[in-house]
Amino acid sequence: MTDAPAPLTAETQSVEAPNDAPRVKVLLTLVEGSDFDAAVATVSRQVYDPVPDLVIVGKAESVPDGAEVAVTLEEAIAAADQSTDYLWILHSDARPRPDALSALVEEVERADAALGGSKLLVAGSHDVLESIGSATDVFGEPYTGLDEDEIDLQQYDVVREVSFVSSASMLVRRDLAQGLGGLDEKVPPVAAGLDFSQRARLAGGRVISVPSSEVYHQGRCGGKSRKWREQAGRLRAMVTAYSPLTLLWVLPYDFLVALVDSLVSLLFLRWRPGARHLMSWGWNTLNIPSTFGRRRRFKKVRVLGDEELFRFQARGSVRLRVIGSELSNRMLSIFDEDQALAKRSRRIWGSPGIWGAVLAVFILGFSMRSIIFSGLPNVAGSFPFEAGSVALERWFAGWNESGLGSPDAVHPSVGLTGLASILWFGAEGAARTVLTLAFGLLAVVGMGRFAGRLGLRGPGRYLAGLVVIAGPGTAVLAGSGSWTSLAAASVLPWAVRAAFVHESEKDRSHLSRFGWVILIGLTLASLSPVLILVPVVVVLAWKVWGGQGSRLVLALSGLLGTAVALQFFYSDVGWLLEADRRIGLSVDDLWPVLLVVGFLPLVLLEGTARRIGSLGVLLGLAGLLLVRIPGMGPGIEEASLILASFGAAMVVAAGLDRLTGRPKHLMSIVAAGAILFFSIGSLADGRLGLPSGDLSERLGFSVSLAHEHGPGRTLLASTQRSDVPGEARSGPGYWYRVVDGTGMTHDEVWLPSPRDGDEALDEALRLISTGSELRPGEVLAPFAIDWVVLFGPEFRLDEVLVAQFDLVPTPLDPDSRVFENPQAVALADAGADSAWQRSASGFSGDLGSGRVALALNHSDGWSPQPGPVGWQASVSAAEGVASFRGDSYSVAMAWVAVAVALLGLILVIVGRARR
Amino acid sequence: MRWVTLLLALVLAAGTFFVPVLDAPGVETDVGVSPPPIAVCPVEEGSGRNTNLSVLSTVDGPVGLTLFTAGESAGSLASATGASGSLVIPVVDVAAVGTVGGLVEMPNAISAAGSVVQGAASMSAEACASVPEAQAFITGGSTAGEATFELHLMNPYAGEAVVELIVESEAGTESNSRFEAVIVPPRSSTFVDFNDLTPGRESLSVSIETIKGRVNAIGRLGIHGDTGVWRALPGAIDWFIPVPKGSASKELIIATPANTEIDYQVDLFTPSGAEEAFATGRLTERGQHVIDLGEVTEEAIGVRVVSTGPVVPVLRWSSPDIGVAITTGVVVEANRWFLPGASTLEGGWATIIMLNAGIEDSTVSIRPLRENTSVRSFEVSSESVLAIGIEEADGYLVESTNPVVVLWTAQRAGSTSAAIGVPILDG
Repeated sequence: MTDAPAPLTAETQSVEAPNDAPRVKVLLTLVEGSDFDAAVATVSRQVYDPVPDLVIVGKAESVPDGAEVAVTLEEAIAAADQSTDYLWILHSDARPRPDALSALVEEVERADAALGGSKLLVAGSHDVLESIGSATDVFGEPYTGLDEDEIDLQQYDVVREVSFVSSASMLVRRDLAQGLGGLDEKVPPVAAGLDFSQRARLAGGRVISVPSSEVYHQGRCGGKSRKWREQAGRLRAMVTAYSPLTLLWVLPYDFLVALVDSLVSLLFLRWRPGARHLMSWGWNTLNIPSTFGRRRRFKKVRVLGDEELFRFQARGSVRLRVIGSELSNRMLSIFDEDQALAKRSRRIWGSPGIWGAVLAVFILGFSMRSIIFSGLPNVAGSFPFEAGSVALERWFAGWNESGLGSPDAVHPSVGLTGLASILWFGAEGAARTVLTLAFGLLAVVGMGRFAGRLGLRGPGRYLAGLVVIAGPGTAVLAGSGSWTSLAAASVLPWAVRAAFVHESEKDRSHLSRFGWVILIGLTLASLSPVLILVPVVVVLAWKVWGGQGSRLVLALSGLLGTAVALQFFYSDVGWLLEADRRIGLSVDDLWPVLLVVGFLPLVLLEGTARRIGSLGVLLGLAGLLLVRIPGMGPGIEEASLILASFGAAMVVAAGLDRLTGRPKHLMSIVAAGAILFFSIGSLADGRLGLPSGDLSERLGFSVSLAHEHGPGRTLLASTQRSDVPGEARSGPGYWYRVVDGTGMTHDEVWLPSPRDGDEALDEALRLISTGSELRPGEVLAPFAIDWVVLFGPEFRLDEVLVAQFDLVPTPLDPDSRVFENPQAVALADAGADSAWQRSASGFSGDLGSGRVALALNHSDGWSPQPGPVGWQASVSAAEGVASFRGDSYSVAMAWVAVAVALLGLILVIVGRARR
Repeated sequence: MRWVTLLLALVLAAGTFFVPVLDAPGVETDVGVSPPPIAVCPVEEGSGRNTNLSVLSTVDGPVGLTLFTAGESAGSLASATGASGSLVIPVVDVAAVGTVGGLVEMPNAISAAGSVVQGAASMSAEACASVPEAQAFITGGSTAGEATFELHLMNPYAGEAVVELIVESEAGTESNSRFEAVIVPPRSSTFVDFNDLTPGRESLSVSIETIKGRVNAIGRLGIHGDTGVWRALPGAIDWFIPVPKGSASKELIIATPANTEIDYQVDLFTPSGAEEAFATGRLTERGQHVIDLGEVTEEAIGVRVVSTGPVVPVLRWSSPDIGVAITTGVVVEANRWFLPGASTLEGGWATIIMLNAGIEDSTVSIRPLRENTSVRSFEVSSESVLAIGIEEADGYLVESTNPVVVLWTAQRAGSTSAAIGVPILDG
């Protein structure tokens, strides 16, 4: 295709062409970067008589003999005289076969068409089809109907009417071209072809595709940088061609499609589609005058209605169809690493692991049915998210409202839930449900992908995902209501997987890999900070076992994720080390036996399955043993239990990898099946093992019966630890804690270290418990405790509160004893019958010259003009606002976490861009 | 490597069996119980009657009185016991009320309060009750003839109380829907008038079963124009009651709230010595026996009632000349006693009766609580009784070298009262 230019001579003309054939003028449009001389040569080789005249459109460096020159296509069309019957508009990056023109003329004449387009083949390929004339949707989005890299086997070789033909090679009647004013010079070739084709059709002409006219197209006319121009051109073509009535619905529809395309693309970390839509609409807005000018001119030659265009258009939106297809492919590829589904392979159901994935997802769906239909329970450690902005404010060195409040950091998961709520457009409830369902799916997929990366291909790897969230440790954690443990367990396989590199992925971007390791590490550390060590342990152990593909440097990079929990560790090291704060969960003694029995058959196997089983059994048993070691706080207890489940899942993945009848495999299947069976039993309730109940609803009276100054706090107490939600403090013979009267939220699950106010409350409760205090309401009033709720069997406080003067027993909950405290002060008491209201994580109210007493633990971080009143905080009422900002260390640590997250994000984006 | 792994796995698995499961964090030990220093007193005002509340304590400390009725405070007073450790509060000085309950908040746990009601021709006295029990029993009521019997249920607390009354008379267990789920609203009193519900009954016993909340119950018996007031108490198996001297009818009524037969024995302590098993008997289910002590002697005596199950004995002392007095026994002997309200009344006289049921003689000091008083000491022989006349005071503190039981009684023309003392157990 790089032939030298040749002059147009009689020797090159075909003797077979009839002399009375229509006269054609070739308008060779210069395309930047194309070989002009070669283009002229291919034109000159056309077998057609009479010899077509050649017009060079654009600024050519050299002009062949006998050729005319025109600056613009419009000028070239206008210059054609009546002796010319057809104009062949041809790009200089197109290489027509010698008979291309004659075929075009012949078929256009035969079909009595006004416009004909050649079959375009990709230059330099083995007859890969580029275009055979396209259909479009109503927005002009081309729809070729061709598969990617589809070879031309003459399967489309039939002359037919099409929506439009490419301007790379089109034959148009001269009179029509002049009547339509030629191609739109402001838009790129495809859009120009579309625009011209549409106008030709509405002017009464037929538009056909002529497959016998074959043209190799180098595609230099459609560079990446012009994509947005093509989009803009299509939009302009719509506005030019459609009637006002059609435009009334098609433009808003197009805008919506653009919006959906932009948002979904963002999900796939692609920002360009959004930018293209933005630029397209912007460009058209700027060019409204010229568009309307064209529309006016076209009106004069228009003879048909929009229906004529609709006849050749695909239904719906091609763009939406592509998005949907991509989404479904992505979803399927989650389970189908072999891409069998995506490639529409006939071996779909023979694809390794697909049965396991389907079964695991089915069981998972069954295990989440109650969450899907009724929502998540609000008990124990599972509570609604706070408003996204408030949660992020708290995480970013803000005020921790749990208990009597504290400047100590909130649990790092609060930041994650805040982010999720914001990303879910502020719908915290939906965000929580979706996130939980996603975590369930992540566990199954993550375990499958992790085991797949290590080399397993069987169905066990996905089924093992169920063991991650319902194995020995996570089952008891979920049973105690720990939502974050469930979430952390589901992220753990991904975090470990990120530290492994599969053979087939070695050439992928390192930057992207590091970025993902950091981002997943941040997520894992925000849910269960101690688990961040597990990938390092697994990688080291894998190396000891001689396994391939692990990357210690990746695992160590994941430790950067700890940044998200720095504040939390800094302010509450007891969460790691205080044994008396443990959750106090124990795993059935059956589990160590099950793990060992599950591993025994694997010892007899060879290769990856044995190696994974070995690692799994040791991790699982280590987790079960660690939880029995004294001197460890709830953080380590939680991580150990999750580790036990993760190890058990690895044993299951290895044991169920090969479903054959060989004795060794049969034994491993039975043993692993037993572990799986015992695990999924805990999921039968439909809540992923979380306990049932809705404490928010039970305590809803604290909002509906709140005082004028708004809900304060509710004191909860019981002799049963599980009755008190979240962390609880040990009182004289019972557990207790205070919760926010507006309803307990996720951030309140963890109690910060006790401060002066907490000690004062403890003393108050001790006094009340002796029975010597006849006015317990008065004693509890300074803590803004509006309600006292006693759960479980009757205990000391019941006995005491039955004989007192100022806590009013109120039968609001049939399953607990509720006492109202009419004496309680407002959370933010401005005096003189005035109370401030909550505002984000602070308070606001009337301006004043006095001070506002806050029933919170004092901290100098409050402003303006903070000052302690006993254990309480107080601020000046001068500004009408009370707000809190943590110390500089906490702020710095929050910024470090943000920086690490940004680093991870940038690495992923840059890595993808490079790929 | 595979065998090393297996070995390691076995070691770890063994570890999980040999390392014990950590105990779940537990709650701290329950704190000790310390009942609040309060007393709930019956108050009768109006119709020529006035109530004086007497508060006695070992310290000079604050005293609060709240008269509660219809869910709220009808009046309150804050004062102090002063140097004498005593205070008398005329209710009329606090608020104009009718028959209500009064909540007295005392300086400390070693304190006691009593209520003395005086009318033109009537008089009653009784120690005020402390924190009530869930089950209490009152016997000695009657609606026969001109007798009136009313149960006054007082709930000084913030929560509503609901009680069920099981009423037993000589006709058996009385059935009436108004005995079921009797509601006593918070900071209120509820009155059950047995003359309306069970008229013409010679003997009435009421078991008060608390379903919800807490109530203090007192009985109010009217005979011969006088009124006797006494508390409902939980049943016990060992009781002491000193008996004043006099010629009037002195009935010891022993009744049981239990649904089983109970055997009992009454030991008698006279100035001349003890008579063991002076009377014995078997109470039927929720039954009662009456023993006429007036037939034994007119002297002051004492009785001890022991039983095989829970019983409550009361002493009812009445005649047309002296009216009626009624009081409960106590279940303990003690070395120190408060007698709140014990005092000679204008136009009458008062006596303290001390029962020494022990086998050793005891020296007893009687200290009137008021300004500028002197202590008197007496010897009370073992297993005998001593009655001593007393003078005007806010109340009395009785201290003894050995455990005794103390009661005080007062008489005036046509009316009389008797009230058992309040033992100071941790003194």
